[in-house]
Amino acid sequence: MSNFFQLIKNEHMKLYNQKATWIMAILLVVSIVGIGALLKVDAAITGGEPPTGDNWKQELQKQNEQLMAAGEQPPEIEYPAYTNVEMNQYRIENDLKPTAYNSWDFVRDNRTFVALVSLFTIIVAAGITANEFRWGTIKLLLIRPISRSKILLAKYVSVVMYALTMLLALYILSFLVGSLLFGMGSFSQTYVYTQAGEIKDAGIFSFTVSQYLLSFVELIMMATFAFMIAAVFRNTSLAIGLAIFLMMTGSSIIVFFMEKEWAKYILFANTDLSQYMSGTPFVSGTSLGFSIAVLAVYYVLFMALAWGFFTKRDVAGA
Amino acid sequence: MSEPVMQLKDVKKTIGNKSIIKGLNFDIYGGEVFGFLGPNGAGKTTTIRMMVGLMEMTDGDVIIQGQSVQNNFKGAIRHVGGIVENPEMYPFMSGWKNLVHYARMMPGITEERIKEVVKLVGLEKRMKEKVGKYSLGMRQRLGIAQALLHKPSVLILDEPTNGLDPSGIREIRAYIRRLAEEEGVAVIVSSHILSEMEMMCDRIGIIKNGDLISIQTVHDALQQTDEKEVSIEATPVDQTMVALQEMTGKEVSRKEELLTFTVEKEKIPSVVADLVQKGIQIYSVNVNRSTLEDKFLDLIGEGAIE
Repeated sequence: MSNFFQLIKNEHMKLYNQKATWIMAILLVVSIVGIGALLKVDAAITGGEPPTGDNWKQELQKQNEQLMAAGEQPPEIEYPAYTNVEMNQYRIENDLKPTAYNSWDFVRDNRTFVALVSLFTIIVAAGITANEFRWGTIKLLLIRPISRSKILLAKYVSVVMYALTMLLALYILSFLVGSLLFGMGSFSQTYVYTQAGEIKDAGIFSFTVSQYLLSFVELIMMATFAFMIAAVFRNTSLAIGLAIFLMMTGSSIIVFFMEKEWAKYILFANTDLSQYMSGTPFVSGTSLGFSIAVLAVYYVLFMALAWGFFTKRDVAGA
Repeated sequence: MSEPVMQLKDVKKTIGNKSIIKGLNFDIYGGEVFGFLGPNGAGKTTTIRMMVGLMEMTDGDVIIQGQSVQNNFKGAIRHVGGIVENPEMYPFMSGWKNLVHYARMMPGITEERIKEVVKLVGLEKRMKEKVGKYSLGMRQRLGIAQALLHKPSVLILDEPTNGLDPSGIREIRAYIRRLAEEEGVAVIVSSHILSEMEMMCDRIGIIKNGDLISIQTVHDALQQTDEKEVSIEATPVDQTMVALQEMTGKEVSRKEELLTFTVEKEKIPSVVADLVQKGIQIYSVNVNRSTLEDKFLDLIGEGAIE
């Protein structure tokens, strides 16, 4: 076990001594700060000021009446971010006072950057084994008294650690940058959302954390896929290209095969587990349990292929 | 010589229907430098890759310090240090970090030991530099340092002098000799450069088309027969030729002023003395050393080297 820890240390040393790793980290920071600045400049995107005075209930009530009276015509309203009559009603009934756009909203919005973290993790996952072949260092790596399985496992664990680090960095940085630009939100803040047509509320902290973790499922599936391709074909570009291509086209693939009986078994019909939180799944016949089962099967398949090829195949050629 | 440090037992490799290595059998002992010689594509690198477990053997086994590479890879490989083909290191890390990386993969290597090895290969002043900035010679030395970290009893170096300048080659040669003679390490060196092998090795195994066709000690290879080929330049030529034929009882060939014949080494002085007594003027006497290159070409046939 102690030498496994040494292997993890080695993988981290190699990863963080490469410029590319730092460039990716800087890109993430620039993206967070950039989008924050953009939101700050254009307040319309963040929905303007909400009713936060003592008489916020009356104001929301008034807006609700305007909204219902207007019918089809979009009315001239004071609070453009609060156009859902039911949600406004829910807030009034449950005494959930609206809050101005703050660090929590910024964290919630920045969940879209998980795609960027996925991209970086795919690059790392593809490179961590295939680069050893490209550099030729694999030959020196494998002539040690350590099994190939253990070396591959150390690499995989390092990829997962990298993904978690980046995800955590995204979350914390978003909160910090959000606090600086929009003001820090309270941890006791409540978030109101609709799930399967029903209005619910949750603590903002646990809500955002669970959202990020749900995204992590998709991230780790794609990273594992890239890791597998790299271990099987020993080619960084192929692994990165294929994984990114599938990540981009995943939803189109689903749409294309939507009518087919077997569509629900496609990986991408199941990767986004938050579809079950919001109510309607993409493909009929799936459920949370079903998706988890399908994901588990794919995961085991990817791992078996990666391990099978990496530990059995000869290291030949230059 | 005592127990062999490494034994190859009927090692075979078949890829598809093609038999790449056709059953190699040989032993390597501590303190010797064993040369693995053969033309490109003869199977040198494939054999070395099987020795260190990078490639699987189709049949047979390699025993290192009594441990089977097939059945107890970890037990066998811990006695081995090596460079397979080029000394490829992580170019984006310093020399020191590269060594730390490999040191972590084996138990019980202290920082002191790393420093010791660095000193041995004379890279003390360049350890903080990135390997990407190293010359090939420096990388080769770092490669040897990496291979020596755990004090292996077998050192396997695939083409260790590849791409080095003459002074670099001489240095590597000196390291290798010292390791074998002073530390008792068994060193296996592969090469297709004959003169190189001749200077470095104690024994040379010649491989051709996946077959070990001969193992020669370097001493043998050069002086296998006591009969030497001697060339003499002397006047008058005709008289000399007759005299030589009488003395040796063998054929003497003539190429312009140069007469060539074979004779036992011990007889050369008396032959020369006789010629002088007959009033023949001798300008030069040369013993044509049969080099390994001739031997090698004899064994594998001309045209086998690309």
